[in-house]
Amino acid sequence: MEKTVEKTLVIQRYNPEHDQTPSQQSYQVPFDNSTSVLDALLYIQQSLDPSLAFRWSCRMAICGSCSVMVNGIPKLGCKTFLREYSGDLLLEPLAHFATEKDLVSDMTLFLQHLQAVKPYLIRQEQSAATTPASKPQPHKQTPKQLAKYRKFSSCINCGLCYAACPQFGLNPEFLGPAALTLAQRYNLDSRDQGKAERMPQLNGKNGVWGCTFVGFCSDVCPKHLDPAAAVNQGKVASATDFVIGLFKP
Amino acid sequence: MSEQHPPRRPYHTPLTGSWWLKHRYYRLYMLREATVLPLLFFCGCLIAGFYSLQQGETSWLNWLSFMAQPWVMALNALTLAASLFHAKTFFELFPRVMPLLPAPLMIAGQWLATLAVATLLLLLLGGLL
Repeated sequence: MEKTVEKTLVIQRYNPEHDQTPSQQSYQVPFDNSTSVLDALLYIQQSLDPSLAFRWSCRMAICGSCSVMVNGIPKLGCKTFLREYSGDLLLEPLAHFATEKDLVSDMTLFLQHLQAVKPYLIRQEQSAATTPASKPQPHKQTPKQLAKYRKFSSCINCGLCYAACPQFGLNPEFLGPAALTLAQRYNLDSRDQGKAERMPQLNGKNGVWGCTFVGFCSDVCPKHLDPAAAVNQGKVASATDFVIGLFKP
Repeated sequence: MSEQHPPRRPYHTPLTGSWWLKHRYYRLYMLREATVLPLLFFCGCLIAGFYSLQQGETSWLNWLSFMAQPWVMALNALTLAASLFHAKTFFELFPRVMPLLPAPLMIAGQWLATLAVATLLLLLLGGLL
């Protein structure tokens, strides 16, 4: 299809080298049915304004780099199409994160929160298994055991859920939807033995109890993970952990 | 040869007190949380009722006439509506937190339980049982 129709994209600009506060700039972008927000941004950068800064990589909703706010809603630029909007589009960097430049957000906090919940398989007998005498054994898992955590395992770390979470906006120390979902994902994995190491983070004041089940995180998740469900299942795990702790010497 | 970068200066967008007005999802969430406000009034009425019952007949009759006033009836009707709305949101969220059975089954089960308890209470308090 020939790109004859144009759409106005209003983009929040911020250059740390000379701006005190962000401002807005409008661009006219030709589009057709297949033009994504990311395509439009690339068009602007290549044809209209090479100074525009934004993140992107895979163009197919796998890398989670091109997260932006489109008309106030967190979206993946590559998975959002201009045809879905009748009027102008307002593009801003992800809410609740600091802005480095234009549409580039500072994701440091997000990465710290992910690290805090130890999102990897932890095995207690690892050292024994790697001794020369005993060969490392594969850890078998039944389809039923896989089904327990699989729905929480396809996170692409795009950060949209953090931009949707007012609790993270109000308290940046709150571990947030993606990190707590990952914690739940590994806690539910039959091969994992690291639950005891993760529970202090989940039980803490910035853990699962910081969530008030607004639920917007699940709505914006491009992978339909339902992080709100994962976080609140974490509350059940946290409460169980507390009760068990009462009876432990 | 390393290039000299200017120091980073990330911009922090302040979160204003009106954040919840910005999106329909947040407004619905705040509405759900605000259902506790009329419920507080109803709880006050209930406690006053128990107290007046203990105080004697005059006090009890005074409380009854207070409860029959149109504005009290209206506020309590609002409480009922708010509680039903809260119940709806709660019943829909519950299967996501404890996925024991298929969600529609759990939602229907919770409404049935609510209906059963409400009917039992009505029969008991209405003196029919």
